[in-house]
Amino acid sequence: MDSRFSNKAYAEKIGITSFQLLSDWGRTVTKQYGLFNEAGGYGNRGTFVVDKEGKIQQIVLDNMAIDPTSTLETCSLLEKKLVVAPPKP
Amino acid sequence: MKRISFAALLLALSCIIAAAQTPAPVAPTAKLKVGDMAPDFTLTDTAGQKVKLSDFRGKNNVVLAFYVFAFTGG
Repeated sequence: MDSRFSNKAYAEKIGITSFQLLSDWGRTVTKQYGLFNEAGGYGNRGTFVVDKEGKIQQIVLDNMAIDPTSTLETCSLLEKKLVVAPPKP
Repeated sequence: MKRISFAALLLALSCIIAAAQTPAPVAPTAKLKVGDMAPDFTLTDTAGQKVKLSDFRGKNNVVLAFYVFAFTGG
């Protein structure tokens, strides 16, 4: 939910060059993805893996989203066109 | 003077009780689930260019990372 200028400064500070930072200044997408905490007025962490068909293949929320290991594994499976394991109940 | 002090104490106590009864913000769960179509969107990148999620369809898998408090190290 930061501005594109803030994102640009952050990207330059930590050397992000291999992926894009997008600004959700209006909080629209954060709300679309169910991550906006209305009571607190802030967004929650979350990672979504979307396949080439536009389907969500993995969702990781809150503190679990800090570790990208499972996300990387899911992306690797998708690239190999292998089936991603369904989420555990 | 005692009456004013008692009223002030009562007011302060009322505020404390009201604050204690205010529910803490509850972290929401994402409404989306695995298998759903990811909602399409258009956002602006750091260069001011519009990026649309559906532009990647048929081309790339996409990771959407909602990373809050980016400058805090948290």
